[in-house]
Amino acid sequence: MKDLKELKKIEQFSDQCMKCGFCSFFCPVYQEEKMETSVARGKNFLIKEVLAGRQEFTPEMGDIIGKCLLCKRCAANCPSKTQIDRVVVGARAQMVKEKGLGAIKNFAFRKVMANRKAFGKYARLMQKFQWMMPTTEGKIKHLPDFVKGLGKRNFPALSKTFLRDQVKPVYKPQNGQQAKMRVGFFMGCAMDFVYPELGLKIIDFLTRHGVEVVVPEDQNCCGAAIYFSGDLETGRMLADLNIKAYKDLNVDYIVTGCGTCSSTLKDYQKYLPDNEDQLQRYTEFEKKIKDSTEFIIDILKVPPEEFKLKKEFEGKTATWHDPCHLIRYQNIKDQPRAILKALKGLKFVEMPNADLCCGMGGSFSVYHYDLTKKIALKKMDGIKATGADIVVTACPGCMINLLDNVLLNKMPQKVHHLLELVE
Amino acid sequence: MLKESVISELQKIVGKDNVLTAPEALKAYSYDGTTSWIHEPDAVVFPTTTDEVSRIMKLANAEKIPVTPRGGGTNVSGGSVPWLGGIVMTMTKFNKILRVDKENLTATVEPGVVLQDLTMRLAKDGLFFPPDPQSFLGATMGGIISENAGGPAGVKYGVTKQYILGIEVVLANGDIIHLGGRTLKNVVGYDLLHIFISGEGTLGVITKAELKLNPLPQARKTLCVVYDDVAVAGEGVFRVLENGVIPCKIEMIDNWVINRIEEMMPIGLPKDADACLLFEVDGMPEVVEKEAEKIAEITKKYGAKEARIAPNQDEANKYWLARRAGFAAVFGKAKQVFAEDVTVPRGNIPAFIKKIREIAKTFDVEIVVLGHAGDGNLHPAVLTDPANKDHYERALKAVDAIIESAAVEFGGVLSGEHGIGLEKKKFMRKVTEPAVINMMKGIKALIDPNNIMNPGKIWE
Ligand SMILES: Cc1cc2nc3c(=O)[nH]c(=O)nc-3n(C[C@H](O)[C@H](O)[C@H](O)COP(=O)(O)OP(=O)(O)OC[C@H]3O[C@@H](n4cnc5c(N)ncnc54)[C@H](O)[C@@H]3O)c2cc1C
Ligand code: SF4
Ligand code: SF4
Repeated sequence: MKDLKELKKIEQFSDQCMKCGFCSFFCPVYQEEKMETSVARGKNFLIKEVLAGRQEFTPEMGDIIGKCLLCKRCAANCPSKTQIDRVVVGARAQMVKEKGLGAIKNFAFRKVMANRKAFGKYARLMQKFQWMMPTTEGKIKHLPDFVKGLGKRNFPALSKTFLRDQVKPVYKPQNGQQAKMRVGFFMGCAMDFVYPELGLKIIDFLTRHGVEVVVPEDQNCCGAAIYFSGDLETGRMLADLNIKAYKDLNVDYIVTGCGTCSSTLKDYQKYLPDNEDQLQRYTEFEKKIKDSTEFIIDILKVPPEEFKLKKEFEGKTATWHDPCHLIRYQNIKDQPRAILKALKGLKFVEMPNADLCCGMGGSFSVYHYDLTKKIALKKMDGIKATGADIVVTACPGCMINLLDNVLLNKMPQKVHHLLELVE
Repeated sequence: MLKESVISELQKIVGKDNVLTAPEALKAYSYDGTTSWIHEPDAVVFPTTTDEVSRIMKLANAEKIPVTPRGGGTNVSGGSVPWLGGIVMTMTKFNKILRVDKENLTATVEPGVVLQDLTMRLAKDGLFFPPDPQSFLGATMGGIISENAGGPAGVKYGVTKQYILGIEVVLANGDIIHLGGRTLKNVVGYDLLHIFISGEGTLGVITKAELKLNPLPQARKTLCVVYDDVAVAGEGVFRVLENGVIPCKIEMIDNWVINRIEEMMPIGLPKDADACLLFEVDGMPEVVEKEAEKIAEITKKYGAKEARIAPNQDEANKYWLARRAGFAAVFGKAKQVFAEDVTVPRGNIPAFIKKIREIAKTFDVEIVVLGHAGDGNLHPAVLTDPANKDHYERALKAVDAIIESAAVEFGGVLSGEHGIGLEKKKFMRKVTEPAVINMMKGIKALIDPNNIMNPGKIWE
């Protein structure tokens, strides 16, 4: 009998499914493909077949479990509360165990992304050649393949100076305020390499509101793309590095402006543990993690009148996109809306299906870019229906994909992080 | 296994991407909404036009390959499981809403349209399709027609067969026929339309349907009525009706279900109640107010402990969400559930419920009731575990007893809405006159002489 350790871990979740098929209505992938193999029910059935020893991890099987955005739309609407995200990640982990990571992912995950310095160097190398690429709009250029398979897409330019080369280790609260709290800032890859100003902006907002911010140098990639692809081993390595980076800093919370990072850091305990010790460590770590929107509203309790709209957004109409990792992974949906509604001079309009996945799904979009574009089209329809000038969200991952698709569809909207709007 | 030549012929008809033969894909089409009926097809095809369906049928008929039509695969009787292999013909890509006709209150749809998509589209024109199977998120119009589906709103609006004006069908030999029409009245020869409605895919493939619609009611009101005795709740159902109020829904949840729902999502249902009836009335705003009060009055007069009128739609939604969660609650609690679909005449509900309780005692198994009380379709569900042989045997006996008593003692039927498929086959002969079965066989032989349409089901 084969060792099905990773699958055994998720067997209880896969047993939840009663095959009602309701998930088909919510699954963005099924809605495009209309095939049973794309939907949670089908994936779960096949994974159970592996558990029963009747199915191998064939290339087709790999493709089926790969074609999931982990958007949790199915799980959020499942009458039996089947956590298909855990089932799929478990199956990917089992497959990685048996077959190893594909050559591409192997290089990208283990050699580049898991090593912050190498990631930076690789990113910087591309930055050097950026001027050779055709400019599509403003800062937007076609980058050469980032991870092989990323293909040609509108990708925001890498920043000249990365965030971690600009930050200080400690920021005191501004205007001589007494520190209310001490918070560790977690930047995440996208903010580090693509949106460093945003990182500085968030730090500035926090320190203005009496928070002392520390930014440990040895923080790493959160590990989302890595462990969601089934590489739990590298995932655990990153988790441990990150936990270590904040361990002795004596911080009350760890705050990040990236929805995917905050959910990933919180969920180490769900997806990664291999033993009790890890479970305990990751559960402990989770307690400190806060998404920036959640932190500002629920912990700092910044009152509405203290949110001031930046001049350049005066009179604009904004709509909000719920990142999967905020609304379904962390149940954060009211906090960002509270901030948007507090901004005087900005008109806020809800888009239809605000909670629909943008189609990015981390490395999903690397392997299934065509599907990503189709799924994003539905998002674009929602955006168009609002007549908004700007699309606001709080996950740099979504920002990158929204930007790509807004441009692909020749739409006028600009894409912004929520905290970019705030003075 | 299908011959290479058949596969390549299928690919020619619907295109390569619309023919699946990978073992993984075949597994994914080996099941439906049932727990234990599983059989793989040899190929899965996705037609998108009537012509494609016709060409596939001609090919299959010539080669004598079984064809099982499939919609959302949500049925709970094994109906879309390809029991003898062959081709699964999946309609999920054949899914356009062709026309919504406000003047005539009709809509024309392709078979793969999912009910919820239709509902959302019709709402834009202030219309709705009244039958409301609770699987509306996954069920397709083709499947709904083929199972003659119905839901809670059946009390007032009836079931699918009352809302199908006409259909286009492709027969086993590939012939395309049209039954019914677009008018409300139609007496042109035998009413053949209605043997295809509830035909469970054994007579032909439905490729188009003309639906009868209603205008959306302007207002709704929900009541949750609490009972100390489930049989008294059963009586409440017909007392309300005989006193002149026809609610659009009357649903029942018993004590066991109430408590499971409260565990899953506490919404404040009375945990000590023996049963609750949920009522919904719809219509003009003034009328629903009056009707809700009247229901409260009648139910209290006939033994209800309490009648709560939901003050707003949010609270009403909570009750209905709870009702829908009930199904999952039952399935989540046992390795195997025999969700019976027997239906009795409304007046016999109290006596039937008493009988179910007796049966549960006799065989020492858990039987829960959560059903469409308004139409006598009570869905008693027997909870068991196949691994526990002794328990499983007793559960099977309990199922037999339930069916026997419902269908024979209380003048009801074996299936109210889920169909016979594979799951209820063994009871079919018990409760149906041999002459009737022979007539069904004869009809089948006439329409599908090679027996290729969804073989192995219903009476076989
Ligand atoms: C949680 C849950 C709740 C449910 N609640 C209800 C309820 O309240 N009321 C109710 O009535 N049912 C209910 N059902 C049962 C089921 O949803 C219905 O039977 C539904 O009508 C099936 O539709 P489908 O598209 O999924 O069809 P499928 O399951 O795919 O097929 C059902 C049958 O129809 C045939 N068929 C499908 N499409 C065609 C076609 N185009 N032409 C010819 N034959 C075809 C198939 O061969 C099969 O025999 C429920 C099921 C679940 C899982
Ligand atoms: S909605 Fe949930 S229970 Fe139903 S088929 Fe999908 S995963 Fe399974
Ligand atoms: S997580 Fe998203 S993409 Fe994956 S099966 Fe569920 S709904 Fe589909």
